[in-house]
Order: sequence, then structure tokens, then C-alpha cells
Amino acid sequence: MIAALEARLRAGELSPREAVAESLERIERLDPALNAFLSVRGEEALAEAGALETAGERGPLFGVPVAVKDVIDVAGTRTTAASRILAEHVATADAETVARLRRAGAVVVGKLNTHEFAFGATTASPHFGPARNPWDTERICGGSSGGSAAAAAAGLVAGTLGTDTGGSIRIPACLCGVTGLRPTAGRVSNRGVVPVSWTYDTVGPIAQTAEDCALLLEVVAGQDPADPTTEPVPVPRYRDELDGSVAGLRIGLVAHLLEGAVDPRVAAAVEAAVAELARLGAAVERVDARFLRETEVVQQLVMLPEAAAAHLPWLRTRLADYGPDVRARLLAGLLLPGTAAVTGQRARRQLVERARPLLERYDLLAAPVMPVVAPRIGEEVVEAGPERLPYRLALIPFNSPWSCLGLPAASVPCGLVEGLPVGLALVGRRFAEGVVLRAAHAFQQATDWHERRPPPAV
Amino acid sequence: MHSQSSPVPTLDQLRALAGLQGVEPTDADLEAVARFLETILPALVEIEARLGADVAPAGLFRDEL
Repeated sequence: MIAALEARLRAGELSPREAVAESLERIERLDPALNAFLSVRGEEALAEAGALETAGERGPLFGVPVAVKDVIDVAGTRTTAASRILAEHVATADAETVARLRRAGAVVVGKLNTHEFAFGATTASPHFGPARNPWDTERICGGSSGGSAAAAAAGLVAGTLGTDTGGSIRIPACLCGVTGLRPTAGRVSNRGVVPVSWTYDTVGPIAQTAEDCALLLEVVAGQDPADPTTEPVPVPRYRDELDGSVAGLRIGLVAHLLEGAVDPRVAAAVEAAVAELARLGAAVERVDARFLRETEVVQQLVMLPEAAAAHLPWLRTRLADYGPDVRARLLAGLLLPGTAAVTGQRARRQLVERARPLLERYDLLAAPVMPVVAPRIGEEVVEAGPERLPYRLALIPFNSPWSCLGLPAASVPCGLVEGLPVGLALVGRRFAEGVVLRAAHAFQQATDWHERRPPPAV
Repeated sequence: MHSQSSPVPTLDQLRALAGLQGVEPTDADLEAVARFLETILPALVEIEARLGADVAPAGLFRDEL
């Protein structure tokens, strides 16, 4: 969508103001059913688009309407984090990623719904209401970047930014049938983003295609001297790497994530997708990576105390203003033993070492993003194959490994089960986002799952 | 803070720990925390027992993967 729109804008077939006006019209018409947006910058966005038309410079996202998750600061606009605590908080400066989007010519039309404080996977804020899945508005979008995925799926904007700590880009991208990429930890600046966990937090794109994600990532990635968590690794021209080929790539299909607590129809869709990559020239093997199960605990040991530390002032003064689920997780982080986070980081180092041979042998790992399709809003227990278990626990084995290891991981639409999207996880080596995007793009050149859109009402 | 078998602290102990950090949760909050701790503390003890003293925390160096 970005690629096509950007071409029309560059050719003068459409002005930035017209592109933004179209986006705002779709938001006004469709978002009441979705609740993807928490703030719409209508007048500001039109004014900024108008200013672009008279400016001399034309960046790579010239006039492209985008939106960002409401934990990412946009100067002069509320950053609520879908919380009561920050409901009236207005950002005084742009987040670094927003500044980079603007420098590239993008126009930020609004802020997107999220799980409260980006700390959960349903985007059903008790304070701002649930974001609804465009494929079935009685179902969740996933989270925490649920508004970002819903907006991308419904075409309300050309592209979005989300954040991912333990799956918060991949999960909603999967459940809403769009493409999302959690970049390598340290690839994208977190400055100006409400933190969950300094070890795991990442900002990344959610859009309709891998090519769109490549265009967005290329703009926002790269070291930020004012964010010590970013690393001085050169940013490639990701779009140039999208040659439609996976020939020669070695892909390890993570076997244990296709068995047990996973809907067999989801597993079958993922296996079919990987078979398609093999048909396109990749060398695919099933791999035994059961040691990754330990990441399910290690992720929590590190993330929960870090989140509690980030929220400690509000835990002391505004505890009753959190929703019950987020409050419980923050208190768990507060009350874990003081050694838990250190033990978690030590175990994480060991896991990184254990994963090293796997990542030397394979260019990519593949697995389901989620074991189930989108549950209904309020449905807390899901049927994942033979098991019935809480939704929040069902997703952990599929998402924690890649967060815990700090690896780039994409969700790529690869099927429908009962009319609802299924996502293929493609996981790369550190800072090898280009390989992930190349494989995702090749898959999307050969299939049309990413082109399937939600029902006509949306 | 916890013994080797890492029993889950009582609600009173959890309330005291929270209070030391300036936080005043309700009984319902603490019951939710206790349920979570029941699952994660045994796993934490296992990991602690397995890690050798030579394993330094991740995040201290920039040589990962």
C-alpha cells in the first residue's frame, strides 16, 4: 500500500493533502466500528500535508499518511498509553522514530489503540475500550499494538508503527492478517516511547506487505546517539534486498511449535507456507529447538521487574488507576525476589549461547506466530489443539523465544482458518532484518494471503 | 528472600514487601500475585540451581549472536 501510494504521490497523481484527506475519510467512516484510533490529528495532519506540497524536499515517504501506537510520542498530541494515568498527558517532543518519519515526508494522522501501557496481548483497554478486529469486530485484534494492526488491515492509513516487548507487533499483525516486523533489539530508537522493558522493547512497522514494512523500517532504523540501547550497525536499503528470491536460504522449521498446544489447522497453514518457500528454492529442515521453552520463564523473569521499575512511581501513587490485569503483572514484577531479573539475564546469556549453533546453521527459523486465530473479545480461554488454556499463556511459547534472544521476527499472513488470519513467523539472525523481509516478500510475490482483505463492511 | 524450596510468601509477607517499596496493594491484588508466584518461583529455583557461577548476565556485553 505504501509502495503504490508513494509512487502515485511522487508522480503527482495525488497530492499529500489528498492522500491525507482520503485517510481521514476512511478513519471517520470505519473507525467507529474498530476503535483503532485514540487520537486523530485531522487539522494538524492536513496542514502538515499542505506544507509538504510547498517544501522543496521530497523524502522517501513523501505525503504518505501513517499512524503510530499511542505509546510513541508525537509533539503536541496526547500519549495516553490507553491508560487512565496518562489520559491527559500531552507529549512535548516527537519520539525519535516519529521525527524520522516526518523527515522522510510521512504525515502522522493519529495515535493508535494499545493494550494499557503496551503490557498485554488483547488491546482491550478498560479505559478506552477494545480495538476490534476488522475480520470480525466481535474478536480481539491481539496486542499490544492492536490498533496499529487493525488500522493497517482496514487500510485506514498506509502504514503504522507498533512496539514489541514479548510479541506485541507479531501477535496483532498475525490476528489481523497484516505484515509486522519486530526488529532486532537495538536496531530502532526507543527514545520518546513509554517503556515496558528496556531489555526487550522494540519499535517496528506493521503494514499490509513486507515491502511496506521495508520502506518504514529503512526510515526509522539506525543508531540514535541519545538512546544508548541502539547499536551502531549500518542500515541497509531494505527495499533493494527484496529480489523475490529465497534460493539458497536455509530455513529451520521449529518442530515443537507445530505440536501440542496449537490448532492443527494453524500448524497445517504454516507447514504449507514453509513448503511454498521450499518450492521457491529455500532449503527447509525441521529442527529440534525444545531448549527454547526455557525462554518462556526467562522472558518473564526479566520483563516483569523491569516493568515494575519503570512504573514504580505510579505504583506508589496511582495503583488503583491501572486495569486489573496490568496491575497484577506489575505487582508480580515488584514482588519477585530481587535476584529474579539477574538470574533471568544470566539464563538469557546461556540461551543466547545455546541458540548460536542454530542460527549459524540456518538463515531463518520458521514457526506459527500464534497457536490460534483471534479469540472473541472477553474470551479468556482458548482451544489450542487438544488443550484448553488461558489465551495469555497460549501465546507465550510462540513469541517469547525470539524476544528473549533479541532476534528480528516477522509475522506474515499465510492462511485463513474459519475466515480468520493465520501468521507465519520468520525469524532471522541479529540485525538481519533484510533477510527476513526478503523471504517474506518472496512469499508474498508467490501467494496472495497478504492481499486478502477483511469483509466488505470494513 | 525465599528459601531453597521457594514457597510462595503469605499475603501478609507480600503486603509487607510491597509496603517496604511504598506500594499498598489490596488483598485481591496480592492473591493474583500469589497465584502467579506459585507458577514462576519453582521455575526460578530450577534455573538458579542449574546456572554456574561463570554465567554472567546478558546485556553486559555487545557480543550476543
